[in-house]
Amino acid sequence: MPETIDIRKGLEVFRARLGEADAAHLSACVHCGLCAESCHYYRMDPHLENVPARKLDLVAQVFRRHFTAMGKLGLQGHALDEGMAKAWLDAVYGRCSLCGRCSLNCTVGINLPRAFKAARAALTAMGMVPADLQATVDNSLRHGNNMAITREDWLETVDWLQDELRAETGDPLAEMPMDRQGAKILFTVNPREPKFFPLSLQASAKVFWAAKEDWTLASDGWDLTNYGLFNCNDKEAGAITRNLVDAMARLGCETLVIGECGHGFASARWEGPEWLQGTFPFQVRSFLEVMDEYLEEGRIQVDPCRHTLPVTLHDPCNLVRHGGLAEPQRRILDRTTSFFQEMTPNRAENFCCGGGGGQLAMGAYKERRMRSGGMKAKQIKDSGAKVVVAPCHNCIDQLSEINKEYKLNVQIKTVAEMVADALVTEPPTGEP
Amino acid sequence: MNAVLVAGAWCALLLAAQVLRARAYGRKPLFAPAAGSPAAGARYAFTGAMLPWAKESVRMNPASYAAGIAYHLGIAAAFARVLVPSRLLSALALLGAAAGCALLVKRIAKPHLRGLSNADDFASNLLATAFAATAAVPAAERILPWACAALLVYIPLGKIRHCVFFFLSRYHLGAFFGRRGTFPPAA
Repeated sequence: MPETIDIRKGLEVFRARLGEADAAHLSACVHCGLCAESCHYYRMDPHLENVPARKLDLVAQVFRRHFTAMGKLGLQGHALDEGMAKAWLDAVYGRCSLCGRCSLNCTVGINLPRAFKAARAALTAMGMVPADLQATVDNSLRHGNNMAITREDWLETVDWLQDELRAETGDPLAEMPMDRQGAKILFTVNPREPKFFPLSLQASAKVFWAAKEDWTLASDGWDLTNYGLFNCNDKEAGAITRNLVDAMARLGCETLVIGECGHGFASARWEGPEWLQGTFPFQVRSFLEVMDEYLEEGRIQVDPCRHTLPVTLHDPCNLVRHGGLAEPQRRILDRTTSFFQEMTPNRAENFCCGGGGGQLAMGAYKERRMRSGGMKAKQIKDSGAKVVVAPCHNCIDQLSEINKEYKLNVQIKTVAEMVADALVTEPPTGEP
Repeated sequence: MNAVLVAGAWCALLLAAQVLRARAYGRKPLFAPAAGSPAAGARYAFTGAMLPWAKESVRMNPASYAAGIAYHLGIAAAFARVLVPSRLLSALALLGAAAGCALLVKRIAKPHLRGLSNADDFASNLLATAFAATAAVPAAERILPWACAALLVYIPLGKIRHCVFFFLSRYHLGAFFGRRGTFPPAA
């Protein structure tokens, strides 16, 4: 927290984010309170401060005071002062994962995350962004990835995984190509994969190998994450997106494929062009869409009998509710296992795991994060599944913590791991 | 009736000014290629998304939903009743007034709703409920225009402004999710 808070700067940034939609959303709440139960924070801790309408009201009060005629006359709203800024911090960083479930359940149709993002942007401009979240953004800006993995470590990890892939497939020509010029696909990954979950990256590579895809990884611009989506500093978010755009330009690839990551997909597919104020000269797709296509076109074959445990699917908010991708992962799982069963509710109505909105990077709110994750734990328990598939590495981190905290005793996997384990491949014929 | 006309003009003028002010914030050009149709999303936001079974918040609170529908219907009937004497309109207004009372009781009784409420929430409910009640009771015929005028004067000053912002807000939500392919949901 800075010694002095630059309120004027905060208001400038807040104002700059407002458009017609925001002005409408901030003028429309009727305090019916029906949004309360749509929020996983409120469901697990039914406290006034967790009601989405209450969080919105804090933002709307400031809007009314500073940007409406009644407010300027001092008749409505509340000024943005230090106390209000702290209330914003607690509400929009500390009690919200920007999942947007409240929006779907709002009587009026208010897009609450938009308002919360405007407030986050103002807080960030005032230097009130949680330090650990900002450190994650800074890592991306300084090192090109959010975990400060060195170029050498990245290249060595991929080299080692390529050896593993060759051993696993029995194909001495199996590749994890690096910086292949003109490849059709540039595949980007979450730094958690090389750092903590290398088998997940190997599973993706195995799928590409089985599909005989023309793909590549990049030595620079390989990190799909963008925590600028969460600190809502558009300039920083744009600079991080630029890493991917530059890698695409450098390698001359056709399609940018985003590995399994909810916020990474939303950042590159939906927000990136807005941050950089221009349409990308290439297509952005999720790896889920690509795998779905491989199965549909028969480029890969899977044997659903390989998976014998009941499987359920978690819908990451940024991929499904905010990303519009709900069906490819279902079609893939329907083909990959005979034991797939939905959570209730699911798709756009699904509950956030609790780790979204940058919550995993904000240590101060860990207790709330774990408590709010109780909704997801309940969904998983009720599904009876023994395997939870989550096409998002941030979600996987949170689900892993929930797994321990709520003693769920489930396996947590990516979609690519499910596909890779079920792949039916012909014996290799190539010579080294 | 003159009071109603003057109050109506005030209401219309201020609401129009507020909507124009909101629209003046403008729409930023969007560069990411759409995955779906904003228009289809907006259509869904005003139709399928508003059906009682489409929203968990309604499925969990059917009584509140029913009360809300009755309340809005009753207020609309009360406005019509100012112009046209009708037993049906009076009956609907009575239903609306009863629903308004029930929602007020709920607001006071439920801790999270009470905590969320401010003076405007109570003033808006009391004015609208009183107006509906006035339209329902034949003996209150003489004060009906005044109750109507009072409500019209208050509408742009408080949350009842949602009578216009509802449409703008829901349109934008629908267009947002429509563009991203979330609305309408896959069958």
